[in-house]
Amino acid sequence: MFDWNGVMTVFPRIAEGMQLTIYIAVSGIIIGFIIGLITGYIRTTEHCILKKIMSFYVWLVRSTPIIVQALYIYFVLPRILDIPFDRNLAGIICISINAGAYISEIVRGAILSVPRGQWEAGLSLGLSRLQVITHLIFPLAFKNMLPALGNQFIITIKDTSILTVIGVAEMTYQAGQYAATSFNLVESYTTLAVFYLFLISILTVILGLLEKKMGVGTK
Amino acid sequence: MMEVRHLKKKYQENTVLNDINLSFQTKDVTCILGPSGAGKSTLLRCLNLLEKPTEGKILYEGKDILGKQFDIRQLREEVGMVFQHFNLFPLKTVAENIMLAPRLVKKTGKKEARECAEAMLAKVGLADKADAMPTSLSGGQQQRVAIARALAMQPKMILFDEPTSALDPELVGDVLNVMRKLADEGMSMIIVTHEMNFAKEVADRVIFMADGSIIEDALPDQFFSAPKTERAKSFLARFLI
Repeated sequence: MFDWNGVMTVFPRIAEGMQLTIYIAVSGIIIGFIIGLITGYIRTTEHCILKKIMSFYVWLVRSTPIIVQALYIYFVLPRILDIPFDRNLAGIICISINAGAYISEIVRGAILSVPRGQWEAGLSLGLSRLQVITHLIFPLAFKNMLPALGNQFIITIKDTSILTVIGVAEMTYQAGQYAATSFNLVESYTTLAVFYLFLISILTVILGLLEKKMGVGTK
Repeated sequence: MMEVRHLKKKYQENTVLNDINLSFQTKDVTCILGPSGAGKSTLLRCLNLLEKPTEGKILYEGKDILGKQFDIRQLREEVGMVFQHFNLFPLKTVAENIMLAPRLVKKTGKKEARECAEAMLAKVGLADKADAMPTSLSGGQQQRVAIARALAMQPKMILFDEPTSALDPELVGDVLNVMRKLADEGMSMIIVTHEMNFAKEVADRVIFMADGSIIEDALPDQFFSAPKTERAKSFLARFLI
C-alpha cells in the first residue's frame, strides 16, 4: 500500500524545494513589507495623487487571483517589456507585490489605530512629522500589526506553491514532478503536506515567541 | 508674547470660533472658562496650530505664525502643551518620554537629557518613577509626567487643555499643586479648565467663552464676584451652588 521507498526518494527532492520555498517567501515578505509600509503609510496621508496610485495597486492585486498574476508576470510582462525573466525572479516579484498589497492594508489599519493624541503630543513638542512617524507611530503600529503580519507570512509561504505553474522548483513543484513520473501520488503528496505542516508549525511557534517578546495583547 | 487677531475657525458650515481678539503677556496665568462646545480647546489648539484657523492672524513674539516663512516647529519648541488625556508614549519609560523631545529637537546629549528628565520628575514629585512605564502610573501621575515632559523643553509658555478633566477627583489636587508651583515660578500659562477654585486662586486673568466668542475678559476677583453678563452669571450659578 504505502510505499516507504517512494517517500525516501521524494523526501530529498522536497527538502531541496523547501530551500527555494523559504528563499522566495522570505524575500517576498521582506520586499512586500517595504512596499506595504510605504504604500500603507501614504494611504493614511493627504497626498491625493499618490494615494490614488497606491489604492489602484492594492485594488489591482486584490482583485486578481495570485495564479493569474504569476502567469502574467512570467509570460506576459517579458513580452511587453522585451526582457526575459528568470522563473525565480518572476516568483519573487509575484509574491512581493502580492504580499505588499495585503500588508499595505495591514499597515494602513495599524497606523489608523494609533490614537491621534500620539501625533499631537509629538508635534506639540516640536518634533517633525517624520520624527513622529518613526519614533512614535511606527513602533506602536508595528506592535498592533504583528499578529496580522504573522498571518500574512503564513499565507505567503503557502502562496509560493502557486509558483509551480510557472515552473519554479519549490516544494509543490518537486512533489508534482516526482508524482507524475513515478505515479507514487499518495506518497508524494502526503510527504508534501507534512513538509508544509512542519514549516508552518515552526513559523507559528517563532511568531508566538516574537509576539510575547513585543508584549502583543498587553497594554 | 502672543496675539490673536480676528481669529475664525469653521468646520464646514459650523463656526467654532468667531472673531477672537486676544493678547497674552509673558508670566501671565490665563484661565479660559466656559460651557462645553464654547470653543475653548479649539482656541488653545489654534495657538500651536494643532488646529489650523480658517481666518485671522496669530502673532508670536511679533511674527505671524500662519505666514509661509514661519516654521511652526520653532513655536512648538518654545510653547509646550499638556493634554486632557495625557498622551504619554506608551512603549517608552517615563524618563524616555521626557527625554525624547530634548534629544530629537534640541539634540541634547543622552546623559544631559537624562539628568534634565530626573530634575523635572523631582519637580513634579515623581523622582522615583523615572524607569516606570506610563501604564503603571495613576492618571494623576501620568499627567504630572506629561507636565514634566513639556517642562523638559524649557518652554516660555505652556498650554493646558483641560488637564484635570480626565482624572478621578482625588487625583486632581496633585496636578493642580504642580501647576500652582509653576505659576508661582512665573511660567506663562494658558489653561482651559473647569476648576473654578483653581482659576479664582491662581489666575491673573479669566476669559469666559461661549458659542465661539469671548464673553468676558476680566480679573478673577471681578469675574467671580461680579460677572457682567447674564451668560457668565448663569454659568457660574451652576458651579457655585
